[in-house]
Amino acid sequence: MNRIKQMINTREAKKLWRNKLALVALAIIMLYLLAALFVMAGGISRVTCDTVIGPNKMPGFYRQDTPEKRYENSTKKFLTKVKRALAAEDVEGALSEVSLGPFTVVNKSPAELEMLVAEVDALAGELNESPNLDIDPSLLPKIADLEAAEAQLKAPLTAWQQFVYDVSILLGTDAQGRSIFLRGIYSIKIAIQIGLVTAIFAVSLGAFLGAAAGYFGGWVDHVVVWIYTTFSSIPNLVLLVVLAYAFTNSAAKDTLLPVYIAFGATFWIGTCRVIRGETLKLKEMEYVHAAQTAGFGPVHILLRYILPNTAHLMLINFSLLLIAAIKSEVILSYLGFGVKNQPSWGIMIRDAGNNGDVVGGFFWEIGFATALMFVLVLAFNILSDALQDAFDPKHV
Amino acid sequence: MSPPPTNSDNDPVLVRVENAVKHFPKRGGLFNRVIAKVHALNDVSFTIKKGQVLGVVGESGCGKSTLGKVVIRLHRPTSGKVIFDGTDISQMSNQQLRPIRQRMQMIFQDPNSSLNPRMTVETTIKEVIGLHDVVPESKMDETIDQLLKKVGLRIDDKMKYPHEFSGGQKQRIGIARALAVNPEFIIADEPVSALDVSIQAQVLNLMMDLKEELGLTMLFVSHDLKVIDHFCDSMLVMYLGNVVEEMPCEDIHAHAKHPYTRALLSCNPITDPDQRGELTVLEGEVPSPYDPPAGCPFVTRCAIKTKQCETENPPLLDRGNGHRVACWEVE
Repeated sequence: MNRIKQMINTREAKKLWRNKLALVALAIIMLYLLAALFVMAGGISRVTCDTVIGPNKMPGFYRQDTPEKRYENSTKKFLTKVKRALAAEDVEGALSEVSLGPFTVVNKSPAELEMLVAEVDALAGELNESPNLDIDPSLLPKIADLEAAEAQLKAPLTAWQQFVYDVSILLGTDAQGRSIFLRGIYSIKIAIQIGLVTAIFAVSLGAFLGAAAGYFGGWVDHVVVWIYTTFSSIPNLVLLVVLAYAFTNSAAKDTLLPVYIAFGATFWIGTCRVIRGETLKLKEMEYVHAAQTAGFGPVHILLRYILPNTAHLMLINFSLLLIAAIKSEVILSYLGFGVKNQPSWGIMIRDAGNNGDVVGGFFWEIGFATALMFVLVLAFNILSDALQDAFDPKHV
Repeated sequence: MSPPPTNSDNDPVLVRVENAVKHFPKRGGLFNRVIAKVHALNDVSFTIKKGQVLGVVGESGCGKSTLGKVVIRLHRPTSGKVIFDGTDISQMSNQQLRPIRQRMQMIFQDPNSSLNPRMTVETTIKEVIGLHDVVPESKMDETIDQLLKKVGLRIDDKMKYPHEFSGGQKQRIGIARALAVNPEFIIADEPVSALDVSIQAQVLNLMMDLKEELGLTMLFVSHDLKVIDHFCDSMLVMYLGNVVEEMPCEDIHAHAKHPYTRALLSCNPITDPDQRGELTVLEGEVPSPYDPPAGCPFVTRCAIKTKQCETENPPLLDRGNGHRVACWEVE
């Protein structure tokens, strides 16, 4: 308890508290973390993200799909599925498998359904294959009638199902008819997961190697400096691409492991450098000399006297690395070397721009992915700036 | 250089330093070769008897702090011996040194950097006591309380962090930490030079009392002759890594012989106008410790130098009563 009080009462914590912008940033980061936790707890599964919930490239709440497009993509599709099920051998079984997004077939006997289908078919017969309202505006009521008739085929949604559906189509669908909103939120988890794992690993490794190199000097220092100068002389992205390639045929290729390894191998360097420098300074402090004259061993001195006094640098580096990892993940996934078989902002951006669709007016997928990433990175940048200021003794 | 004087009385010697040399290599150039050496200590010998306080005085960069650090083995001497209670510790490993570390402790110069900012006073002291198992765990709290009382701190101060204390208080904590393991020998590296004058007196008096009470032997490093005079039984005067004079601290004004010691003494402000002598201002700079003069280290600034001084380093010769001077020109 006393320790927590001490932590809150430090000058640094007070300075951070006074910085309102940093608090807003912190709140935003908390929201992202909550979203990531929600996904991790099973709120949105990978299957949900890959489920087709509606027509392709359906706009979100801000613009209604045109009636003829709705007819084309949604009504006709469902009708075809029901017809195919009715023609199957195991009619009952086939009917229970019919679904389009949240919609399933209403619980009626096949005979009743056939009558309903015939009714809808009759209405559809009055429309040609692909009706165009610009040419023939009188078709509009016919389409409305058809939709109303077809709605009888669908089982009514419960209030919860309706809510989930509304949320899923909040920002429309992508080129394969999957929910953009859910995919974007799921990608938060991927981003945060990669960011956290990378940052924790890189900061621990960097701090450990940096402190050891700085404190022991001699050949330990030579080895560590040699390793990091060698690693930092390789262009970052090239190494990441090579590592990603190396994993293409392994069992781990669909997991995040290649990304972790690629980032873990390069991201510790900056932290290592900073901590090594700080250790070089700290080991000449008299309290370290005091610990040496008391007879403490080097491990004890490193753990109790040196590393705790570099905690502020670790914190700042952690925050910076987290952003860097998230950004790199997006770039890598965009290039096709990063996350595979699950949503990621990079993949969403790539999917959106694939066939020049963005130019054709399909902006909401790229827009949502970019906005999510932008806000998170901005919030972290503001926070690490504020942390840096809070720990800077010269900054009031 | 002559061998250190044998002690005439039967006081056993606790610390004996024999011909200690410390060079710090400077590396650079291709393949990180040693391109120069700082001659921090050059053939230094002295003894400290049990219960005695030896002062070391000299200007900045003369090697007096290095001497303290070599004696406590923060630095390993390049050559020479450091004999503590009959054991040569100069080349021991840290493992071998651990039992000896409990018997010798150090008080540091800068109270602001001598305490770990992330540890409370209690933790700082507890760690050291725990390392050497000086007292059983059950008596730990009691011991810490007694220590804090002994150095003049309040007992409820022990839960505080170093930044909550003033400089003088921090120095008291440093003293408490040094005393926590019941050492026999203490090296005080300019323990009061970073403090206000009024606080200096308090801390010095505290150290005096503790020294009397615990019968400590001390090596007291300072650049302040008055502090040395007040505190020590005898003193070494150092210049550029060499001991130029060693003398008992009795009426040093009357006895000091080496021209450098005399110059140091004349810089000391004296309150009684009748006692004021002539102020000797030394000309020139201290030579670089990378490249000390061939003869007497003081030759570049000495007022009474001769030809001999420029080529031969004068030995530290005994002039009676434990007074040794390294100068060709004084008798």
